[in-house]
Amino acid sequence: MKGWRIGIIGLIAVLVFGLFVVADEPVTITFWHAMSSRHQPNLQKLVDDFMAEYPNINVELVYQGRYGDLQQKINAAVAAGNPPTIAQMYENWVTPLVEILYPIGPTMTDEEKADIIDGLVPSNTYNGILYTVPFNKSIMVLYYRKDLVPNPPTTWEEYLQMAQDLTVDKDGDGTIDQYGTGFRPAANPEQFLNFLEEAGGSILNDDWTEVTINNEAGLTAMEFAASLAPYSLITSEYMSGPFEANQVCMFIDTSAGYYYNNKAAETAGFEMGVARVPMGPVNQKSMIQGTNLAVFDMNQTQEQKDAACLLARFLLRPENTVFWAEKGGYQPVTKSAYETEEWQNWVATHEYQQAMSAQMLDGFSQILHPNYGDMRAVIATTFEEVMMGEATPQEALDDAASQIADLLE
Amino acid sequence: MNSGDLASRYILRQRAYRLILYLLLFAGCAIMLLPFFWMLTTSFKDPSEVLKMPPQWFPKVWHWDNYVKAMRVAPFGRYFFNSFFMAITTTIGEVITTVLAAFAFAKMRFFGKNVLFAALLGTLMIPGQMLLIPNYVTMYKLNWLDKYQALIIPWLASVFGIFLLRQFFRSIPDELQDAARIDGCSRFRFLWQIVVPLSRPAIMTVALLKFLGSWNAFLWVLIMTNRESMRTVPVGLTLFSSEVGTAYEQLMAASVLAIIPILILFFFTQKQFIQGVARTGIK
Repeated sequence: MKGWRIGIIGLIAVLVFGLFVVADEPVTITFWHAMSSRHQPNLQKLVDDFMAEYPNINVELVYQGRYGDLQQKINAAVAAGNPPTIAQMYENWVTPLVEILYPIGPTMTDEEKADIIDGLVPSNTYNGILYTVPFNKSIMVLYYRKDLVPNPPTTWEEYLQMAQDLTVDKDGDGTIDQYGTGFRPAANPEQFLNFLEEAGGSILNDDWTEVTINNEAGLTAMEFAASLAPYSLITSEYMSGPFEANQVCMFIDTSAGYYYNNKAAETAGFEMGVARVPMGPVNQKSMIQGTNLAVFDMNQTQEQKDAACLLARFLLRPENTVFWAEKGGYQPVTKSAYETEEWQNWVATHEYQQAMSAQMLDGFSQILHPNYGDMRAVIATTFEEVMMGEATPQEALDDAASQIADLLE
Repeated sequence: MNSGDLASRYILRQRAYRLILYLLLFAGCAIMLLPFFWMLTTSFKDPSEVLKMPPQWFPKVWHWDNYVKAMRVAPFGRYFFNSFFMAITTTIGEVITTVLAAFAFAKMRFFGKNVLFAALLGTLMIPGQMLLIPNYVTMYKLNWLDKYQALIIPWLASVFGIFLLRQFFRSIPDELQDAARIDGCSRFRFLWQIVVPLSRPAIMTVALLKFLGSWNAFLWVLIMTNRESMRTVPVGLTLFSSEVGTAYEQLMAASVLAIIPILILFFFTQKQFIQGVARTGIK
């Protein structure tokens, strides 16, 4: 009888011990990213913290160039069948690859899922499942010179009026020296997509069967852009350059550019303010940009996939998304992060963050269509044509619509 | 008007002509040097001085620490070693394969020579981007990813180099070959002892272009490697820029260091390089 008991205890001991051994089996995952040198120490710190908490998991961070390079590398690796375990990916990169991804959502608790900012959920959901999670997110906001724009515009009408008033030919030589606002149509068509959203428009209808960019809302948005054109500096460079050179008074740009825009203002010797984008006819939303994290199913062991999901969830924790936001100029991606004391103190001491935070909670994301990249290029050209006065808003939009229709197949 | 007058007039005109010529050359030279000058001074600037309008030509304070900061961003020592190793091995390898192939196409007769040559030239028309994914798959199947093989072996031959040398070799008279053959010289010996020394400028051109190409190779290296210890200088240079801005002063500091080897190489080989380009009619 006694021997039998000892046997059972022994068996349990072996099982428990065995479980520990399995749990402690070291697992290595690779994390491909496109974060430049300014962000790498912060990312490394987060990953180090993660590895300290899960000593059996080893995360190899691999820098894969800029976003375009990273996308090429991912596509090549998928073709060869050896993708990384986890990678930064834009929404439209994910769409064609969704079948070889491992959804992170099902490994998360309901609270964790509900904590993600509402505006970020649709852009991470594929076939009704939360596949990816937001990572380095920024939002479009209005930057302005405090000395020339004491009260930033809150509506489109005010924006247009101020842009007009601030556009001056200082030395009277017939060319404008100071523009009210500025756009980078070729490089940053998101500036137009913002107007489109605010006018209640969209590129496609909800089930991607029809192009809607040239409907009435689209026309309202493009006509507003066109009305700003005479008071806008049009460039393809970062706006911080002309901002510093006193050529532009206010412009819509990503919150991630704060560091560079503010440096420009400091150099030029004026104070910079940040405000929400001016309210459009329908809403005051602006575009959320930046990548998400995706875990690959292809060529990974279950342990690797589990470890990668743990890492993704770890990065969503309030303290981590707040750290990442504060250090890198991004925005926290969960609701609870905005309520942490740390973040509230940060916002209290960093005035510009108030507008960014408010805007982030009222943002929209890019559509998930696999050809979004090409559509974006069409929109960039269209936007540029209108801003350069080469086409009327209606002509340009109709042309864009027919090009986008070709991309629907 | 005596002859002395004429002579001094002639000299004067010559001098004026020279002056104009040198002024023009100087202007051209200044335009060519401006980007280098800008790179060099920017590498010592404060970040706030980089994009200033009107341009600030010299930094107020010379920030030597930009170099230290830039070098700390990544293991640049290793990157430089890899870049050198890759550039030198691919250059030597390519010169050997190209000389042999170009000689065959220029001086030998064999079945299907023209078809083969046309096919080779045809490959020049395939954009490299298109081949990137198939090449990656090949490297993966060979288990060469993250190894020097992947960085070097695919680059040991170059169709453009073969084309360039073939054109040059064809300008060497066939009589030389006939005479050498009559004297009992083997084809191989004729190639190495007569053709190669005669074609030094063209071969130097091929070598220099290859060295430059390998030294600047970015996408291939990025795609074929994951480990930091296998990466090269151009991959390191991308670290300084992001979607929203660029640390120009550090980027320029790293760029200055990156072009030094190329400058040294060009300094020693420029005579041959220019001859090679001038003689083969290729620009």
